[in-house]
Amino acid sequence: MRKTMIAVALALGTTAAQAQIHLPTIIPLSRGPQQPALQGIDALRAEFAAQSGGTTVYFGSESVILGAPARTVLAAQAAWLRRHPEIVVRIEGYGDTGDTRDHALAVGARRAEEARSYLLLLGIPAAQVSTTSWGKERPGLGRTVTVLVR
Amino acid sequence: MKRFLLPFLLIGMAGVAQAQQPAATVIAVPPLTSPDGGNRGNEMLAVGWDATQLIVSDLRQTAELMPLQPNRDDYYSYPEVTAPTFSKWRSKGAKALVTGFVQSRSDGRLTVGCYVYDVEKGRELARKGFVIAPTDWRRAAHKCSGLAYTAITGAPGIFDTRIAYVAETGFGEARTKRIAVMDSDGTNHRYITAGDAIALTPRLAPNATQLAYVSYAGGKPNVRIVDLGSKQERPLIPTDAISFAPRYSPDGSRIVFSMMQGANSDIYIVGANGGLPQRLTTAPGVDTDPSFSPDGSRIVFESDRGGSQQLYVMNADGSGQRRISFSGGWYASPEWSPDGEWIVFTQRSTAGRRIGIIKPDGSGERMLTNGPGDEGPSWAPSSREILFQRADVAGRSGLYRVALEGSEPRPVTLPQSGSDPDWSGVMD
Repeated sequence: MRKTMIAVALALGTTAAQAQIHLPTIIPLSRGPQQPALQGIDALRAEFAAQSGGTTVYFGSESVILGAPARTVLAAQAAWLRRHPEIVVRIEGYGDTGDTRDHALAVGARRAEEARSYLLLLGIPAAQVSTTSWGKERPGLGRTVTVLVR
Repeated sequence: MKRFLLPFLLIGMAGVAQAQQPAATVIAVPPLTSPDGGNRGNEMLAVGWDATQLIVSDLRQTAELMPLQPNRDDYYSYPEVTAPTFSKWRSKGAKALVTGFVQSRSDGRLTVGCYVYDVEKGRELARKGFVIAPTDWRRAAHKCSGLAYTAITGAPGIFDTRIAYVAETGFGEARTKRIAVMDSDGTNHRYITAGDAIALTPRLAPNATQLAYVSYAGGKPNVRIVDLGSKQERPLIPTDAISFAPRYSPDGSRIVFSMMQGANSDIYIVGANGGLPQRLTTAPGVDTDPSFSPDGSRIVFESDRGGSQQLYVMNADGSGQRRISFSGGWYASPEWSPDGEWIVFTQRSTAGRRIGIIKPDGSGERMLTNGPGDEGPSWAPSSREILFQRADVAGRSGLYRVALEGSEPRPVTLPQSGSDPDWSGVMD
């Protein structure tokens, strides 16, 4: 079976993070005592990627079902998120570029939602994970899901 | 002599290219005249000549009509507008005739009169008058073209209509996608959204004063309504959920759309001015791209509830859902034709994406394009041709028109790349 991908990346702050601006330092939202020391967003992303076994989760082509490798990555991400309860993430789903506009949008949303459901199953609070879909609006990232730390 | 020969030559060529297509009806377009005298009369004759040329240009774009080249020397006197010399036009091969007049009014506006005749039978087919601001002469000419087209073919004309689409510029991170609207002949092109957020799938209200579209302004896709005059915007419904695929009901009072709830996309309906959405589908998976039948009684949509994307029809209250596509491949983005006869769709297979049509009962399916990068079909108000999006080998997207009879798709001239077209109905 052909594999497609969900990427998981990180960003910090709120709107600045979505704009992919490099932030030298961050002031985390105060939630819990074990806030990370001031870090760059890239450092946090790198840590997330390294400790989660990658930022990418793979799906079967046209599929929204999480396979075993996908669940392994998500479990590692869940472990990281449990250590960083102050970090809010957003999962961004991508559809297949060969799909039609609206179906791709829905499939991206379903993939993101499946990933979110699994994180919630592993005990991550619902408020810590949101979802969106880019459908096929970012062709270079087709068939991926990106998680933004916000 | 040349101007007599040219139309016949063109008909002959069209006949070779599309043998099964009936020959076009030759129509004479004597210049619009004016009852006014003096300088005022000359001004009106000038407006009339501009309108005449636009009518000829409109009719030349159709497959059904072939206008004779207009000649300024063929001006009628005002009384002759209602009593044209049929024998003269018969001898030139014309089977129909459209002409009229432009008259100035004391309030500064203009009266434009339009008359359509059957030249062979020597009788009037239709007449219509419009009172307009002098700057609106183009609309009056389009109305006149529509009157002639409808009188001769029986189908609504496409001339005084609008096209909305997504204008695309730049690549990668710098790419912008914003809503643009233009007249169907390409004039009055204007941008509706600013381009700071991705905009998708504009769908014009029946009166084309507003449109619904999908905006990423809030970070996730959401249906918004924008007024084309003021460009004021509002969300369709106050929700944090992903919503998309909006389309107006034929009377403009309601909007059907898709909304995500968890991993499930269902179809909802809500008043065009807001209110509480009512859920029409409940199947797990993706139900999307709903489109009303022209009488508002039924809705066609796509669903992957059976394992692959297929077309379904249901009553407008959500009852009686049944699948209509069974020929293999995946079916998406259906739109019901304005005359109710057909449903146009995108078919997806390993060979790519193509545009086809199918009867609402699932019969008569056939493909209109070869793909491989076609999608987003939208009916012309005449129900005789389809506007769609085609990606070229470089991935750039443009808009094309294809006739229902089957023909080589013709590109639509745009200022930049375009996608997600939507063709309005005929406006009163």
